[in-house]
Amino acid sequence: MRIDVVRGACLCAAALLFSSGAQAQSTSYQDFDGITRELRSLVNGSPHASMRSLASSHEGREIWLVEIGNPAGTPLDQRPGVLVVGNLEGDHLIGSHLAVETVRYLLTDPSAARLRDEQVVYVVPRLNPDGAEAMFARIKRDRKRNARPFDDDNDGRVDEDPPEDLNGDGLITLMREPDPSGDFIIDPDDPRLMKRADRAAGETGAYTLHVEGTDTDGDGFLNEDGPGGVDLNRNWQHVYPYWERDAGPHMVSEPETRALMDFMVEREHIGAVLAFGHSDNLVGGTDSAGEFDGDQLIQLDAFAAEPNSEIFEVGVFSTGGGGGFFGFGPRVGAGGVPLRGAQPGRDNDPQSGRRPAVVVDAEDRDYFNAVSEAYKEITGIEEVLVNREPEGAFFQMAYFQRGIPAFSTQGWGATDEVDGSTADEKVLAWADSADVDVFADWSPFTHPELGAVEIGGFRPYAATNPPAPSAEGGRQHGQFVVRLAEMLPRVRIVETDVTAHGGGVFTVTAEVENTGFLPTTLQHGVVSRSVDQTLVQIQIDPDRILTGADKSSRVQKLEGSGSRSTFSWVIRGRTGESVEIMVRSEHGGTHTTSARLR
Amino acid sequence: MTMNSIGQSVLGFVSLALAASLALPTSVEGQAQRGSDPEHRLDLTWDRWLDHDEIGERMQLLARTWPEYLSLESIGSSYGGREMWVMTINNPRTGAEMDKAAMMIEANVHGNEIQGAEVILYTIWYLMENYGRVDDVTRLVDERVFYMLPSVNPDGRDYFLDEHGSGARTGHIPVDSDGDGAFDEDGPDDMNGNGVIEQIRKYVPGEGTHRTDPRDPRIMVRVAPDETGDWVLLGSEGIDNDGDGMVNEDPVGGYDPNRNYASDWQPNYIQGGSMNYPFELPEARAINDFQMAKTNIAGFQSFHNSGGMILRGPGAAWQGRYPAADIAVYDEIGEFGERMLPYYDYLVIWQGLYTVHGGSIDWTNDGLGIVSYSNELWNGGQYFNSPLLQEQGRDQDQPISGQYGRYFFDDFLEFGDEFVDWTSYDHPQFGQVELGGWKKLSGRVNPRFMSMELFHRNMAFTLYHADMMPLMSMGDATVERVDGDVYRVRVDITNERVIPTITVRAQENNVVRPDLLMVDGNVEVIAAGWVADKNRPGPTQLIDQAELDRILVRSGHPGRTTRTIEYLVRGTGDFTVTYSALKGGTVSTTVRVR
Repeated sequence: MRIDVVRGACLCAAALLFSSGAQAQSTSYQDFDGITRELRSLVNGSPHASMRSLASSHEGREIWLVEIGNPAGTPLDQRPGVLVVGNLEGDHLIGSHLAVETVRYLLTDPSAARLRDEQVVYVVPRLNPDGAEAMFARIKRDRKRNARPFDDDNDGRVDEDPPEDLNGDGLITLMREPDPSGDFIIDPDDPRLMKRADRAAGETGAYTLHVEGTDTDGDGFLNEDGPGGVDLNRNWQHVYPYWERDAGPHMVSEPETRALMDFMVEREHIGAVLAFGHSDNLVGGTDSAGEFDGDQLIQLDAFAAEPNSEIFEVGVFSTGGGGGFFGFGPRVGAGGVPLRGAQPGRDNDPQSGRRPAVVVDAEDRDYFNAVSEAYKEITGIEEVLVNREPEGAFFQMAYFQRGIPAFSTQGWGATDEVDGSTADEKVLAWADSADVDVFADWSPFTHPELGAVEIGGFRPYAATNPPAPSAEGGRQHGQFVVRLAEMLPRVRIVETDVTAHGGGVFTVTAEVENTGFLPTTLQHGVVSRSVDQTLVQIQIDPDRILTGADKSSRVQKLEGSGSRSTFSWVIRGRTGESVEIMVRSEHGGTHTTSARLR
Repeated sequence: MTMNSIGQSVLGFVSLALAASLALPTSVEGQAQRGSDPEHRLDLTWDRWLDHDEIGERMQLLARTWPEYLSLESIGSSYGGREMWVMTINNPRTGAEMDKAAMMIEANVHGNEIQGAEVILYTIWYLMENYGRVDDVTRLVDERVFYMLPSVNPDGRDYFLDEHGSGARTGHIPVDSDGDGAFDEDGPDDMNGNGVIEQIRKYVPGEGTHRTDPRDPRIMVRVAPDETGDWVLLGSEGIDNDGDGMVNEDPVGGYDPNRNYASDWQPNYIQGGSMNYPFELPEARAINDFQMAKTNIAGFQSFHNSGGMILRGPGAAWQGRYPAADIAVYDEIGEFGERMLPYYDYLVIWQGLYTVHGGSIDWTNDGLGIVSYSNELWNGGQYFNSPLLQEQGRDQDQPISGQYGRYFFDDFLEFGDEFVDWTSYDHPQFGQVELGGWKKLSGRVNPRFMSMELFHRNMAFTLYHADMMPLMSMGDATVERVDGDVYRVRVDITNERVIPTITVRAQENNVVRPDLLMVDGNVEVIAAGWVADKNRPGPTQLIDQAELDRILVRSGHPGRTTRTIEYLVRGTGDFTVTYSALKGGTVSTTVRVR
């Protein structure tokens, strides 16, 4: 008791000491050391937060996890929880910022008091510290990927042909090369942009686009194997982009993703996920088919990737037929016996054609959109400028594999509709109206291999991060997490009833209620069998149950907003004896009550 | 024949010399007189199933006996802390390990599928005993590397052999199978203490789902849906350990260790037992780390039981067919194996067995570019392995027909050792019941007296598989002066065996480093091309790559194929032409131009 008081006093002093630091929002993007300091000061200033490392990145930086919850009361790992993850892509600095500001808000804002007492929030603000660090390098280049050394072009050499800042402006942008066999022309509507020549309309291509740099390894391709390995938001199990070069050797292959995955496996009480990344299902919402808005990427970057698209065709030689190589010839085994191939058989497994779900379950769509509406109401964001189709994305894994309501947002956007039919046009329209410098204008340069070119393009990080984080955005995302936590299921035994039948026989009845907004499991949690059924258990020897419900009874899904379910056991007992009844919902908490037999 | 007689005469000469000079008591001539039955350096017996400790001891004994060729390492620990022993077989005098194609053989992914471990131990022993004596064995050991992993799931193996895990495929990571927040709290129990987990049957006259067979009351027969029987089957021997009203509902583990690999991995509701993500299991992860590091592995066998099958991928119909050239390779080896393994069929997993998502050999094929098979050891047809007895097995009037055959076999060939007769027992939850049934070492596991044939034939198939791995060789160069110091040089490059250096699937997925065709020396390569037909004049297929002294061959070198590379070089002196294939070895030749 005495120790507790002393400890409390200490913590108060610490809070005072750090209060100035803990209250002020940061107004610039932070490198790894900066974000580490920021988190430490927030955690040290609060009795309701702790911080630890989930793992080390390839380059040895810590993947910080902050746990937020008042340690008094139910143990944190038995409470309904929300998981917030930032910086799944290394270049998404705003995501880290918003995650840190969410920590600040949840620790300091009075509206988060109930959350801290009854629930738990886990925040991983920077999943990809190695990728993020590139933004703070002398020469800047958009970099989503982590630091796994990787042979992008599979030529037996690793990271041997990186982009170079040829014109010395500190940025890796693009080059446009005058090329009569090129596919592109300068966009007549906006000469900063390029468009594909429409040959059917009589347009003649005049340019080829490249990433800024030279052919360092002399293989005929420019900048095809720079630093950076795996895009951590393409490394997860749902719609995993098999064998694509930025997706890793296999699902969950990286120390960063594996650590987060293990954490989720261990913490099955996580009932909602918010990811900050390049994909959105909050502003655009979920449509009537259960799908989200798809790709809306910067076209200029895609154009510049085209010259390297045939890299894996170099060195492929025909192996038989007309090519003149003698291949296998007639398929004859040893002894001259003709071969007949693997024996045909029928597919004898009726489940073999069953495929995993790829759209949000029809019963879950209204819940997704309710969360989406709350997000838009709080943040005011109406339009996302750049959006990426999620493939192997973290938030998709959380819903489709684990049945958790899971959301992703860029964390910023326009509060009104923006003109433009492509991401390129939208970003320029927004930047021009907001007076933000997102584009490095094309300027001439003499390239050692290509001759006269122009260098220019979108500034690294400018299309996917606001120029500076706003105080407002941080506060709003904290509010949103509080709202999301309020929506979690909240399961209690609200009534018990005992009827005595004489002779030591009693009927015990328990009424279970979910007062939260979300059901105890989404429908996909039922379909995927990934969320445990809600368990209702009477804590007596099963031999004493004469009839009625099983000792361990289960409700597959209890809707929210006050839905109830009733369980009755006819048992043997002693008058005056107290019988415990427990309800356990993975995402809605555990509650125990007792009924006195009388 | 010629080789044999030469070998014998050489041996004869040596033995004469030895006998003359040393007068050894056991002469080599004496051994030669025994023909193919020489004395062994290690007299091992093969008629017991070995648990994990015994496997480790035997591996260490083998490694101590042949230290020049064998090295033993642990590639990781199982969840239960047991070492995952891998024996590397490599003859360092014929080249470094990574410069030779390797065959990896593993077994016992499923805890109850045990006998592959013994096949592997037998294989190590057989190769070593016969190295230097049988030419084909000597050549294989000299040309290849072997990685031998007898037990992928040592926790499951020991649980099966030494504990209660009679039917348990699983590994031992605790799983909450009944969703009550407790892990592995209610498994089977040996209630009557006879060392066997039996089945439970209860007599319920007129209310059951089963009746006893009138010909043999040990046998339980399910009645038709519109009939009633006198018995119900109540599962495996055990009680309600956790007092939740259910019996044996949360035993050890509760997943399938062969659904945790990374190609076509699917979540639990599509593929039961797959766990949460690929390579979550420490055992699968250790193997994958090992295999990704050993880029020389070109062949892989994963022994399972049972059914008598030589399986290849894909595991699921929706993965489509393998590329035609890959199928041709698999078919040639698989069908050859059918001749070596009576009662075994060569099958595609999803067609011949059942659908498997995330199985180990799908990953090694798709993700690592390794030609992989999985043998399902032991086919029940082998109990009565003659055409006459097979026919009797189909004749209802015969005592060995259908399932009576298994009881006949146990009664008269194993003297009743495998079946435990039904005996009554008072069960705390079910009341008066009977316990009885087959012991764990029958059914899926072959009778021990039939092990030698199973071990040897399956070994022979894996050694054939190993022999068919790519093996590169390079012919002598032909040099022709074109003008001044410009020369035209041709070199034949051959893969002597069936498997290509890079499968089509591996090339499509970019999971194997391309082969490299390199020139090193004081010459400049002006042009390089593949010769269409070196015996006729005609065009060459020019190679359009920026670095002609380091040509990438992404499609690899096909099986049983010779290609001729033609270089136009400028320079004088010696240079080397090298062909480097991760899975086919590195070969080179020196060329002199002047």
